[in-house]
Amino acid sequence: MPVVLTDEHRMIQATVREFAARELLPIAAELDQTARFPAEALARAAELGLMGMMVPETYGGAGLDPLAYVIAQEELARASAGFQTIVTVNNSLVCDPIVRWGTEAQKRRYLPDLAAGRRLGCYCLTEPSAGSDAMALRTTAVLRGDEWVLTGTKLFVTNGVEADLCVVYARSEDAPGARGISAFLVEKSFPGVRVGKVEKKLGIRCSSTAELIFDGCRVPTANLLGGRGDGGRIALATLAGGRIGIAAQALGIARACLEEAAAYVGQRVQFGAPIASFQAVRWAIADIATRLEAARLLTWRAAVRWGTGELQPAEAAMAKLAASETAMFAAHKAVQLFGGYGYTQDYPVERYFRDAKITEIYEGTSEIQRLVIARHLLRSA
Amino acid sequence: MDVVVCLKQVVDPELPARDFAIDPATRRQARDGRTLVISTYDENALEVALQLKERTGGTITVVAVGPQAALGEAVRKALAMGADEALVVDEPRAPGWLGAQVAPVLAAAIRRIGRADLVLVGCESADWVERVVAPLLAEALGASCVTFASRVEPADGGVLVRRMADDGVHHVAARLPAVVSVTSDEANKPRLPKVKDIVAAKRKPLTVVAAADLEADTAWRLPAPEVREVAVPQRTGTCEMLGGEPAEQVEALVRRLRELKLL
Repeated sequence: MPVVLTDEHRMIQATVREFAARELLPIAAELDQTARFPAEALARAAELGLMGMMVPETYGGAGLDPLAYVIAQEELARASAGFQTIVTVNNSLVCDPIVRWGTEAQKRRYLPDLAAGRRLGCYCLTEPSAGSDAMALRTTAVLRGDEWVLTGTKLFVTNGVEADLCVVYARSEDAPGARGISAFLVEKSFPGVRVGKVEKKLGIRCSSTAELIFDGCRVPTANLLGGRGDGGRIALATLAGGRIGIAAQALGIARACLEEAAAYVGQRVQFGAPIASFQAVRWAIADIATRLEAARLLTWRAAVRWGTGELQPAEAAMAKLAASETAMFAAHKAVQLFGGYGYTQDYPVERYFRDAKITEIYEGTSEIQRLVIARHLLRSA
Repeated sequence: MDVVVCLKQVVDPELPARDFAIDPATRRQARDGRTLVISTYDENALEVALQLKERTGGTITVVAVGPQAALGEAVRKALAMGADEALVVDEPRAPGWLGAQVAPVLAAAIRRIGRADLVLVGCESADWVERVVAPLLAEALGASCVTFASRVEPADGGVLVRRMADDGVHHVAARLPAVVSVTSDEANKPRLPKVKDIVAAKRKPLTVVAAADLEADTAWRLPAPEVREVAVPQRTGTCEMLGGEPAEQVEALVRRLRELKLL
């Protein structure tokens, strides 16, 4: 299946690249060191339409296809993976399920604000005892009159500190595993929601990662997303799209490694010659570039299939697996090519190294991606 | 106020130096396979037009001369940034033209557009840096002309222009119609298009005319300069090592810099 970028895609790529150069590159190192939430840059991203890229124009979004989204995410992550994390969660884990499963009233109430950056979203699935085994979650939702009462603790919630709207998955039905789960749109201002522990992280440090505690949180029945018991299906389908966003993030990190390393080896002189003239160095650059191109093609293909409604979970898993392992590979090589300098904060590659690692972990570890892929291939076995 | 902004498409000046080449046959910069962008100051001119429109209303029409297929992206970007419509003059030879050749065609295109209280152009193109289009256009259109404007404000049926000059800043009042060339300024930093406007730009009116159909008036035109030779300056470097103690080295360095008339 050929993946062809249209003029529009190229213009969006150029625009987001320029945005990243103006607004993100100058502050990326500082954001990482101080773990400061980039509120101003996010407001500018929202003005450009980057917070609700795939939300239909009727609901205030940009109405773009997933390929445009993925191209934009790579550009953001090339400059600041932490910033892109905030954006990608809002787009693919919050706006997307509301577009796909929300009622008309839910869409009208939440999508315009999410797309305009007036509200920020987060996705609450993981729990202390339900990580990779997400469908074992224990947060409960009990119907009392015209309200659901949610009780439980969610962990590692990206945007958890700043988010205004949480997509929360909770066990509402007397059924095991995925079939007992429903999804809820919970405003942070609803009674009974509070932020718990805020994590101190290795990378993507300008995005917050927090514990969210739902302590008898009362949610109007109108805020049930999809039907009762649909939550497991919604969570997994949402994650397929989310994983493509993370694949795009990994592409951005890998490209940053490639571009910085290629520039450095051209000017670093040892043994009387630029180290780019040494075969071992040239091979490292060639290997990064080849894996990056392969991962990008997988990611773009998955994005196109997402757009046509044909996306299989295994395709998203392959894109994320290939891209995240490419990012880690590229970061590992880049630090090595920079030698001692690469280990210091004088150059950005140590940040890329720390940022890259999360792409192999969140929205499904590499092991879970392999499990999804193998399950698809070996369905009969 | 109805404003026309003239756009030139050039090879991206941000491309690395190794991608710069001269085509010996045409004695022009090689364009094949290279990224083409709107010439830097032309984007500043468009930004000035957009800010004027936000204050006074009216329309913005962009006009560009060149091969239609290549111009699509530049014109589309201008429309995405907020221009209302575009006129493309399809002229395959235009990328090799100098200002004196393109100005009469632009003038004819602006007459075709009809409504043009104010014509804005970049103060110089990023490739040839001739700075001649604004005065030539003003002559052709019988309009007043102000060059090197950093800001343009509406005033008393005309415009008030803040002009950057060698001896400081000039504040010039110009009557309309006027042709104003724009330089860069903190106040006219080109905005980025919103992503949904990139999509919407496709729905804005874009007219294409062949240059031959415009009947450019060439009577007033200056003859275009003939380009005999174009070359990339060759830089050579030599390294002199200065010996002795640090104090002696400093003395020797200062002496040497004075000999070279660098101090």
